[in-house]
Amino acid sequence: MRKQSSGQRGQGTAAAGKRRAGNAPILFVLPALFFFFSVFLYPILRTILMSFFRIEGITDPIPKWSFVGLQNYEKLFRTALFRISLWNLFRIWFLGGILVLSLSLLFAVILESGIRGKRFFRAVIYLPNIVSAVALATMWLQYVYSPKFGLLKTVFSSLGMKSLSKIQWLDSAHKFESLLLAYCFGMIGYHMLIFMSGIERIGTEYYEAATLDGAGRFQQFRYITLPLLKGMFRTNLTMWSVTSVGFFVWSQLFSTVTADTRTITPMVYLYMQVFGAGNSVTERNAGTGAAVGVLLSLAVILIFRLANRLLRDRDLEF
Amino acid sequence: MKKRQLGAAALAVLTGLALASCGGGSTESASTEKAAEKQADASEAKSDSSAEDGKGLVYWSMWEATEPQGKVIREAAEKFSKDTGIPLDVQFKGRTGIREGLQPALDAGSRIDLFDEDIDRVNKTWGDYILDLEELSKSHDYEKSANAGLIAACREVGGGKLKSIPYQPNVFAFFYNQSLFDEAGISEVPKTWEELGEDCQKLKDKGYVPITSDDAYILSMFGYHLSRINGYEKASEIVKNGKWDDPSVLEVAKAYEDFAKKGYFSENISSNVWPAGQNQELALGSAAIYLNGSWLPNEVKDMTGDDFKWGCFSYPAVPGGKDGTEASNYGAQVFAISKDSKNPEAAFRFIEYVTKGEFDKKLSEESLGIPADSENSDWPKQLAAVKPVMDSLKTRYPWAASAEDNVDMTPILKENMQKLCGGEISAEDFVKNLQK
Repeated sequence: MRKQSSGQRGQGTAAAGKRRAGNAPILFVLPALFFFFSVFLYPILRTILMSFFRIEGITDPIPKWSFVGLQNYEKLFRTALFRISLWNLFRIWFLGGILVLSLSLLFAVILESGIRGKRFFRAVIYLPNIVSAVALATMWLQYVYSPKFGLLKTVFSSLGMKSLSKIQWLDSAHKFESLLLAYCFGMIGYHMLIFMSGIERIGTEYYEAATLDGAGRFQQFRYITLPLLKGMFRTNLTMWSVTSVGFFVWSQLFSTVTADTRTITPMVYLYMQVFGAGNSVTERNAGTGAAVGVLLSLAVILIFRLANRLLRDRDLEF
Repeated sequence: MKKRQLGAAALAVLTGLALASCGGGSTESASTEKAAEKQADASEAKSDSSAEDGKGLVYWSMWEATEPQGKVIREAAEKFSKDTGIPLDVQFKGRTGIREGLQPALDAGSRIDLFDEDIDRVNKTWGDYILDLEELSKSHDYEKSANAGLIAACREVGGGKLKSIPYQPNVFAFFYNQSLFDEAGISEVPKTWEELGEDCQKLKDKGYVPITSDDAYILSMFGYHLSRINGYEKASEIVKNGKWDDPSVLEVAKAYEDFAKKGYFSENISSNVWPAGQNQELALGSAAIYLNGSWLPNEVKDMTGDDFKWGCFSYPAVPGGKDGTEASNYGAQVFAISKDSKNPEAAFRFIEYVTKGEFDKKLSEESLGIPADSENSDWPKQLAAVKPVMDSLKTRYPWAASAEDNVDMTPILKENMQKLCGGEISAEDFVKNLQK
C-alpha cells in the first residue's frame, strides 16, 4: 500500500514535472519567438503581400496601396531588362561558382598539403575580403582594366601580344567578364577558408592508411578528401548562392549613376523600382520590388533544397 | 506554484531588461550618455538635446561631412546657432542615405525640420511632405536677391508654388579645355551641330580627341539631341512609350554615327566607366570636350590644377529643331521644410543663412559652385564661362533631357549609345536594338 502510494506520488511528481517542463520551454522561447515573428516572419509576409499591390513609397500606409493581383510578376517577366538581370545573375552564380569554388578548393588542398608559409599564403589569399569593395573596384576599373595605362594593357604590350593589349575590357562585349573576374578575385579567400576547415577535420590516419596502400596524392584527393568534403561543398554552395542572389555592390560600382545591361542584377533592378534610378526622377513601385524579392527568395530556397538533396553526406561518418 | 510564478517573474524581468537595453532607454544608459556628453563639447551637446526636444532644428543633409559643401554647411550651422541661439542638429546622410531613408523616416514620424536634395526629387518625389514656402519667402523678402530663374524653376516643379529654396545652382552643358580650343584656332563656341562638327575637325587635326564621355553621362547626349529636335515633352513621350520608330530617333543616331565615323569621339568612349573619361582624358588634357554638369571643375580640380582654362557652351542647336541653345538641364540643390516641422520660421532663417551672403559665397568658393545669391556676383574663375550660358537659358530640361525617363530602357539605351559613339553599330542598328 505504501509502495503504491509512493508510486502514485512518484507518478504525480513526474506529471507535475512534465507540466512544468511543458510550460517552461514555451516561456523561455517566447522572447526568441517574439523577435523571430517581428524581425523575420512579419517582413516576409508583408513583402509577399506587397508584391500583389502597387505601392509608390516603400513606407506608404496600407490604405494607399492598390491591389493589382499578379500584375507585378507579369510585368517583371515582360520586361527585357529584368530578364537580362536574371540572366546576368545566373551567369554570376554558375560561372562564378565554378571558378570560385574550384579555385578555393585547389588553394585549400595546396595549403593543407603541408607546404611552408601556409599562414602567409592563407592571409594573402584572404586579404581582398578585408579590403573595402569600393577600393577594390576602383583598382580594377581605373587601373587594371584601363585602356590607357592599365595593368592588362601593359602586361600584354610588354609580351608583344598586341591584339590582347588593345582589348577594351570595360566595353559592352567584355564588361560582364571583367566584373565577374574582379568579384571572384575577392571571394576565393572566404570559400577557401571553409574548405580548409573541412580538410582539417579529416583525420590524418585516412591519408596514412591510403599512403601505405600505395595511393598517390591525386587518388587520396579523389577518394578521401572529396567525399569527406561533401558537407563543406553544401555549405559553400549555399553561401555562394546566398551572396550571389544579393549581388548588388559590385554591380553598382561597375556602373555608377546609371545601371548597365552587362552588370545589372535583380537586386539592382529591385533598388531601381523601390528608390528610383540614377539621377532622374523615375516612376517607383515598391510592389514590383517586393515581387523581385519574393522571386529571389524562391530561387535561394530551390538551390538550398537541391544542394541538400544532391550533396547528402549522411552515409559518411568520420 | 510559487516556483513557477518566480520563474515567470524572473523571465519577465529578463525579457524586460533585454528590451530596455535594446531600446537604449534605461536610466543607466541615459546617465552613461550624459556622462559622455559632458566630456564632449558642451555647446554641441546642448544643441543636440534641444533640437530633439522640439526647441531647435533637425536638418538632414544630402552632403557628406567631408565634402566641401558639408564642411561649409557645418560651419554655417555652428555660427547660426551661436548667432541666433537656435540649436541645430545637422545630420549628414549623403545622397544614398537621403534617397533611401528620408521618406521612411518622415513616415515613421522622425523629427526632421528641413532637408535638401535635387530640385526634381524634392518637389516631385517628396512633394507631399514639404511645406509651402510662399508666405515665409514674402515675409523674409527672400526673392529680392535670389536667382529669379531658379526660383521660377522651383515654382514650376512645385506645381506653381514655391516649396523649395535653391542653392548650389548647376547647369549641364558642354565643358571644354580652352587651351586646346585656342591651339586649334577656335575663337567662338559652336552654336549649331554643324559648327560643333567643324570645331571637332579642327581639334582632331591638331591631334586631340574632340569629345569624350563616361558611361554615367553619355546618355545625356542622346537626350539633349532628341529634345533639341522635338522639345522635351515629345522627347520624353518617345522614351517613356518606346516610340523608337519615330524618325527623330534615327536622326539623332545618324548625327552621332556621322561624328563617330569622322573620329570625333575618344577611342575609349564605349568602355569609359566614370570617372575615367573626365579624369584621364579631359582633365589630363588629351580630350577637349565633355558634356557634364557645372560641378565638373570641382570634381577634377586636383588633377587640372589652377591653371586649367575652362570653357562652356550650351548643347548646340540642330537643323530644324524645336529648341535651341536657350534650353538646357539646369537646376540646383534645394532646401525644403518638412510640413510637420514645429519651427518653420527658424528653419527658413537657417535656409536664408546658408543661401545668402557670407555662406553662399563661401559655398561657391569652396565647392567651385555657382552662387545662389544674385548679390554674390563673383563666380569662381573656373566657372566664368558658365555665367553667359546660365544667363541665356530660358527653357529647363529635367535630368538627361528625357534620355533616362524610362527606367526599364535606360541601361539598354546606354549600351547602344556607347556602341554607336564607339563606331561599333550603325544608326539603323541603334534603332533596331531599341525596338527589340
